[in-house]
Amino acid sequence: MKEVIAVVRINMMNQTKQALTDCGVDAFFAHEAQGRGKGFVNTHILEGAEQGYVEAAALLGEKGKLYPKRLLTAVVEDSMVDCVVETIINVNQTGKPGDGKVFIVPLADAVRVRTGETGEKSIV
Amino acid sequence: MMIMIRSIIRPEKADAVLAALMDAGFPAVTKYSVAGRGKQRGIKIGDVTYDEIPKVMLMSVVNAADKDFVIQTIMDTARTKGKGAFGDGKIFVSEVEESYTISSGVKETAAAAEGVPA
Repeated sequence: MKEVIAVVRINMMNQTKQALTDCGVDAFFAHEAQGRGKGFVNTHILEGAEQGYVEAAALLGEKGKLYPKRLLTAVVEDSMVDCVVETIINVNQTGKPGDGKVFIVPLADAVRVRTGETGEKSIV
Repeated sequence: MMIMIRSIIRPEKADAVLAALMDAGFPAVTKYSVAGRGKQRGIKIGDVTYDEIPKVMLMSVVNAADKDFVIQTIMDTARTKGKGAFGDGKIFVSEVEESYTISSGVKETAAAAEGVPA
């Protein structure tokens, strides 16, 4: 079993949730996060906003600005990994820097607390 | 092979660590707030035990070759001046099997991350 960790744009969460459900991944958790990548994002796009621009810019900090993101974590069977990665990329791809990343980390075991089931059974 | 480095550090050290990573040439990082306790079972002040201490989790994925350097950078910056103190945090390292950039849909390899065309 694998842990799929994805960093995505916050305004893409609804589409991502819907798409993950459609591809058969019902269980995942999300975390509010801030992040930065290789630094190719154009910050001038923020200046177009009428409200909250000053606050938003201040939150980003001076050096190596951090942008609000969502961190998704889903634990899936090995056979599902390709489908999940494809789904996340298809839904979140705008082609501009800042779309996010997907990481796949091996997971030793999982336990369902309610029943005590372990392994593949606990995530199906 | 790529390596995920997750470090739990003091919130007041987060800006310094982020700046140090930027200067060291590892700009890509994700930050989120967490709460937790360590081996010392939280902080006991009088009769009250605080066992959900606010911390910041930094996640970055780097090449296996850069692992030790990044860990050393985070450790040197996040440590309380001098010999350190309880609550400075932990660094966890795990392997990443695959890594994708969403904007291009490209599967990252260790060679590509170093700037060499795969």
